[in-house]
Amino acid sequence: MHFFLLGASHHSAPIDLREQIDFTRRGLSEALETLSQFPDVGEAVILSTCNRSEIYIACEAPQRMRETVSSFMSTFHDMPDAKLKPHLYYRIDADVARHLFRVTSGLDSLVVGEPQILGQVKEAFSIASEQHYTGTFLSRLFDWSFTAGKRVRTETGLGEGAVSVSYAAVSLAKKIFGDLSPLSVLVLGAGEMAELTVNHLRSQRVKRIAVANRTAAHASNLAAKINGVSVAWDKITNELPKVDIVVTATGSTRPIISKKDIETAMHPRRDRPLFIIDIGVPRDVDATSGEMEQVFLYNIDDLRSIVQENLARRQAQVDLGELLVDAEVKKFMNWVNSRAAIPTVVALRKKFDGIRLEELDRLDTKLTGLSPETRKKIEEITRLLVEKLLSSPTEHLKATTNEQTVTAYTDALNELFDLKNQDTTSKKDAADTTTDDTKTTSLRGREN
Amino acid sequence: MILLPLIFYIVAAITYAVAFAQRSDTVGRWATSTLVGGTLTHTFVIGMQTMQVGHLPIVGTTGAVSIFVYLLAVAYLYTETMTNERAMGVFIVPLMALLQAIPTATDTVASRPPVLDSPWFAVHVSSLLAAYASFALASVIGLTYVLLFKELKAKHLGFFYARLPSLQVLDVMNGRAITVGWMFLTIGLSVGVIWLIQVQTSTLDPRVQAMSFFDPKISIMAVIWLVYSFAIYARRSIGWSGRRTAVLSAIGFMIVLLNFLPIGYFVTRSHNFY
Repeated sequence: MHFFLLGASHHSAPIDLREQIDFTRRGLSEALETLSQFPDVGEAVILSTCNRSEIYIACEAPQRMRETVSSFMSTFHDMPDAKLKPHLYYRIDADVARHLFRVTSGLDSLVVGEPQILGQVKEAFSIASEQHYTGTFLSRLFDWSFTAGKRVRTETGLGEGAVSVSYAAVSLAKKIFGDLSPLSVLVLGAGEMAELTVNHLRSQRVKRIAVANRTAAHASNLAAKINGVSVAWDKITNELPKVDIVVTATGSTRPIISKKDIETAMHPRRDRPLFIIDIGVPRDVDATSGEMEQVFLYNIDDLRSIVQENLARRQAQVDLGELLVDAEVKKFMNWVNSRAAIPTVVALRKKFDGIRLEELDRLDTKLTGLSPETRKKIEEITRLLVEKLLSSPTEHLKATTNEQTVTAYTDALNELFDLKNQDTTSKKDAADTTTDDTKTTSLRGREN
Repeated sequence: MILLPLIFYIVAAITYAVAFAQRSDTVGRWATSTLVGGTLTHTFVIGMQTMQVGHLPIVGTTGAVSIFVYLLAVAYLYTETMTNERAMGVFIVPLMALLQAIPTATDTVASRPPVLDSPWFAVHVSSLLAAYASFALASVIGLTYVLLFKELKAKHLGFFYARLPSLQVLDVMNGRAITVGWMFLTIGLSVGVIWLIQVQTSTLDPRVQAMSFFDPKISIMAVIWLVYSFAIYARRSIGWSGRRTAVLSAIGFMIVLLNFLPIGYFVTRSHNFY
């Protein structure tokens, strides 16, 4: 069995094309069903996110798949082949594993190390799996990719540090206050940035969010949207002593909050920290306020530089991540190679068992004088004899992970025991009888 | 056998440092297990010494240091289990290893002179050592608070930002450690005074006779009590928290160490029972 991948991502295709080949528009189930009609497609998983549309297949003849799958993609999305093809990439076997492991670990993402992709791959696999489009090989490949993805994230700093301004603000708040749920937030401004940041804070279940804006209606609208309360613009200074976090994102050309305002607010608060996120340009809060002992004042440039540092730190971990991915691909391919010997093992056992049964048949007349119990024992002895003779070579073959060694062994066995004649049947049997660790269901098996 | 706890503490200190630098939970679990191993062997050593001299080996500064390290290990492990926070280990375990070198090097257990043959004495010393252990924890927590605070104020989020819990958590832990330490300190001092009143008239032991407010060990202890009482008062009534109490707890523990070791060994005339 081989692996094949064909797809397009933010690396190879512009956004308008990615939107057109988004499988979720018509539904993954329909796409999988259509794909399964194509000959030679064994198992299949379709991964479709805003940044990538990829088809993973386990099949016997991956070289033939490129044309098949690309024509499926263009037909399914009703797009000329010539328009789509230049943006498609394809991978075979170890390169498929490497690509998927890079995807799940976030190495292939637009923002390196972003965490959502792992969940998206899990969901894509789960949809294909629930509808029985996956079997032993893709199941193992995807399971392995989840482990590899987690390993890369855990053993490198690839997923660490906020990489957006609003998330950086929330991370800072958590580092100052720990649990944000007992905290109150004051938001000045009702624009997009204010809303984005306050939404992140809201997801941390802060106790109260008060919104103030020069245009009271805008404040009321945002307050209603985020389940907060609106505060009159001239009452801001009254709010300051009561809140723990202040988010300012107004279009004001002059500072709205002076150092004196903060000093007055800090007096009743004593040493209780106040975190001010000033993302307004020009700044809304007097910059010298940050000099006060328990005032943590971060402006948009501070937050951006944190984001840049985090991105640089993530980038520095990429090489280590790639090394870990390589190690996982090697281990995975060892497993795949060890599976390559299984059809030969099955054919060999079948051959030996056939000889055993033939010999028992031939001797049948000579054994007629024996009681049924004794005949049963003789049959059992012959079975055990074959079992013992084959035990060592079977184990040895299964444990061999080097592709060339496996080929050499299987070729020799095929030649020496003349297994080729029963090759076709044995491969089919292999799928049915050797799945000691996972289920095996090929698409055509399912259709049958 | 006496070497075992020290070896465990040294290995634990190194493992905590590796876990902290690499932010590895697996190495962290090894660090905790090694420290637990150290604490268990230390329990055994203390048990053996108790059997050897017939009482807890708390007579004299050397024995007291060993018990202090032991209580610090227990207090730290308790805090780590309760908060699931391992970051403080990198600061506290090396201190344990360093201090444990003193009793390991001397390897003698002072027996109790008849004048100390009182349950009050055991309570006095144990409570004070428990107080020291709490203050050691508080100072380390305070130190980590200051390190993180400085990174946040400088807007340069680096090493400690990625490894330490939030300022709020550190502040609460610091406050609790100071409160617990202060309670033990108050109990230990009160019991010491009661015991002194009982024995001072019935013995001519010069060390007991030297026990007065003017003995450096005792007068500095009064200063320590005042420092920590102020720390608690400042937190509850003035609203101090964060960096100020963190610095106060670090200063407090410096005085504790000063009183415990150099003054305990070389200066005091009243507390030299070894």
